[in-house]
Amino acid sequence: MRRPDMRMNRLFALAAAMVVVLAACSSSGTTPAPSAASAAPSAAASEAASAAPSSAAPSEAAKAEVRIGSDNFYESKLMAELYAQALEHAGYTVTRQFGLGSRQTRVPIFTKGLVDLVPEYVGSGLGYYDKTLVTGDGEANRTALQAQYDKADNLATVLAIAPGQDTNAAVVRQDTAASLNLTKMSDLAAVQDKLKWGLPPDCDKNPLCKDALESYGIKYPPKVRRALAACDAPIAQALQGKAIDFAWLCSTQPAIAQFGFKVLDDDKKTQPAENLAPVVRNDYLAKVDKAAFSAVLDAVSAKMTTDELTKLGVKVGVDNEDLEDVAKQWLTDNGLLS
Amino acid sequence: MPDILGWLLDPINWSGPEGIPSRLIEHLQICLLAVGTATAIGLPVGLYVGHTGRFAGLAINLANIGRAVPSYALMVGILPIALNLAPSVGYDPDLGLTFLPLFLAMTLLAIPPILVATYAGLREVDRDLIEAGRGMGLTERQILGRLEVPLAVPVIIGGFRTSTLQVIATATIGAILSFGGLGRFIIDGLANKDDAMLFAGAVLVTVLALLVDAVLAVVQRVLTPRALRGKPAPRRPSDDDDEDRIDPAMFGVRTVDVSA
Amino acid sequence: MEGQPLVDFDWILSHLDDVVERLVQHVQLSIIPVVLGFLISLFLAIWAVRQPRVYGPVVAISGILYTIPSIAAFALLIPIFGLTLITAVVPLTTYTLLILVRNNASGFAAVPADVLEAAEGMGYTRWERMRRIELPLAVPLMIAGIRLAVVTTIGLATVAAILGDSFGGLGQFITEGLQTFFPTKIYIGAVLSVALAFLADFLIIKAERRLTPWATARAGRV
Repeated sequence: MRRPDMRMNRLFALAAAMVVVLAACSSSGTTPAPSAASAAPSAAASEAASAAPSSAAPSEAAKAEVRIGSDNFYESKLMAELYAQALEHAGYTVTRQFGLGSRQTRVPIFTKGLVDLVPEYVGSGLGYYDKTLVTGDGEANRTALQAQYDKADNLATVLAIAPGQDTNAAVVRQDTAASLNLTKMSDLAAVQDKLKWGLPPDCDKNPLCKDALESYGIKYPPKVRRALAACDAPIAQALQGKAIDFAWLCSTQPAIAQFGFKVLDDDKKTQPAENLAPVVRNDYLAKVDKAAFSAVLDAVSAKMTTDELTKLGVKVGVDNEDLEDVAKQWLTDNGLLS
Repeated sequence: MPDILGWLLDPINWSGPEGIPSRLIEHLQICLLAVGTATAIGLPVGLYVGHTGRFAGLAINLANIGRAVPSYALMVGILPIALNLAPSVGYDPDLGLTFLPLFLAMTLLAIPPILVATYAGLREVDRDLIEAGRGMGLTERQILGRLEVPLAVPVIIGGFRTSTLQVIATATIGAILSFGGLGRFIIDGLANKDDAMLFAGAVLVTVLALLVDAVLAVVQRVLTPRALRGKPAPRRPSDDDDEDRIDPAMFGVRTVDVSA
Repeated sequence: MEGQPLVDFDWILSHLDDVVERLVQHVQLSIIPVVLGFLISLFLAIWAVRQPRVYGPVVAISGILYTIPSIAAFALLIPIFGLTLITAVVPLTTYTLLILVRNNASGFAAVPADVLEAAEGMGYTRWERMRRIELPLAVPLMIAGIRLAVVTTIGLATVAAILGDSFGGLGQFITEGLQTFFPTKIYIGAVLSVALAFLADFLIIKAERRLTPWATARAGRV
């Protein structure tokens, strides 16, 4: 009579123990990049994190540990990895918290102070707060975004923008472009009813989608429309498989090169400037030498053109190389790790 | 707190091709098709395996694959194949986008509960009864049709219930590939940051699932042979492998009176 | 995805540490909900057996929780709990409740009434009766439920990829594979989650054999 009794007790004890152990194991959410082979000596800067902010000349103690976040797609992670390796090379300790979902989830995490630095696209970043302020000028967007952060209790600083952008691209297949004579978006109005349009589900409420299309003379909503998220794999595949004839993709997306799509010229400049820029919390900047810190990131930004972004995208997306390796190679090639 | 009730009561949301009734019909259509196809596949296989006892392990393990494969990954993984096959097989690539991936993923999801329940239901039938049937000269098919299946019906329908519930709840992912259905409200609500639409969509899915389940529960009770209602399920020593014994209770068949 | 070999084994071999890391994350994501779900449903089941009128509502509520699409569940929880393990575990746990509550309650209810009467006659308190008779005899049904819950949760846990790198598990492979058109990652993610489900199922069966030795000697049992 006793044996089943003891077995049940053991079962419960085991279950309880497992819960406790697993809860403990999972309490640390940081996953440093698996094969990061950083050659930089890392300064013992973690004590500095609790030290008082120093406005003196840069010293080892002023390189506080920085937590870098990113969105959950390759380009954001790539930029974050570039920032991370550049900062590590300059002597900062970096904690990586990549893949924080989409902007909707990442912004609250940044605002709550769970990460210190994130890469941001100045157009969409500004549009998150106020869609009406977004322009086609990168520097203007940056200034406006900075104003948003200033309004929010001086939350963060938007550092210098990179020339490189990843903006929305209106894309068709080569055969469509050839048969309907399409080179720029203005050409679309004449043939709009012949196309199956792949538009994101938020197009109705998104001025960059609906208003932009209407400014090109396209009646909204188009006759045949499929709701597919922009820039994702499914919409690229749907375009390639001829289920749709028009798709919104991202300008540096590897699929464009892979499938040989044609990007239509945005001749009316409806799409925003989406230059990349690092956004860093001011309470973190207060702990370090702001000029030195910004200089490291500005150096990375200065060399990041749209061409470079696209090339790196192909390496990650088509050649399936690891982000860490691609980042390290690029930094080395551009003399940023010497 | 988003104004879910307001959204649900707004007459605009009840009209037109993007209104609740149209989406409801789209949703029910794909669920019906998927569960129907799954039944057409899972029921015969379950009947064969349950009656003969052969290949039970194989069938159940294969069925478990259907449960373990993530539906979203399956759907998005099927997409390129469905698109590439369109020209050669001859269907509109649009179907390859909006319909096929979702349909195939849902069918695969729907098969395991039906197959496993059919097998389990048949296995529960008293072996002595079947032997008696053979003794009386009934053919195997007659035994299956007149003895085993009627007794197994409550369990089989239980599997059907589980399957339908899962499909109704999961078919929402089709909206990711531009399918309509109730998932459209969830995906669009998410994209447009319209919380009222998002949660209203979730509420609609839940209500639909519960209603359908309630109807099927009544069907289950009605089709249960009176002799089996409310009696303890007899546990018989059976000569098949115990580890594949699956309990009918999993399919909502309450064969025991709980007022102990 | 054209012109690529279907599965890039070299990539898999050179990234074994990543694969293992994701596998471990996925195991975490799957075990915690099942264990929590089991404990909760055990409590609910015992309650339902004591107060039979509770059974209906309990199953109904579990059913409601089950049908809440995971996307909506995450949309609800992320603002509250952020991108943490809790956000993933809560819906995964509620999804197991439907399966486990039904099984656990049926397990208790299936104990023959005369056995219970005999125990009462022998002077067992209600609690002792629960522990020594009802629970052990309910084990087979409960374990059948656990098997189902584990297999289902392993499949469902791939949606946790929405939470990104730290908790994505095998679902993160699938998401990344889809984003960068790298089928190998998709296959690794899907195949491993199926393999994990089979392994878990197998282990549970083995555990069941040891927990219920009387079930293997069934001759003559009524």
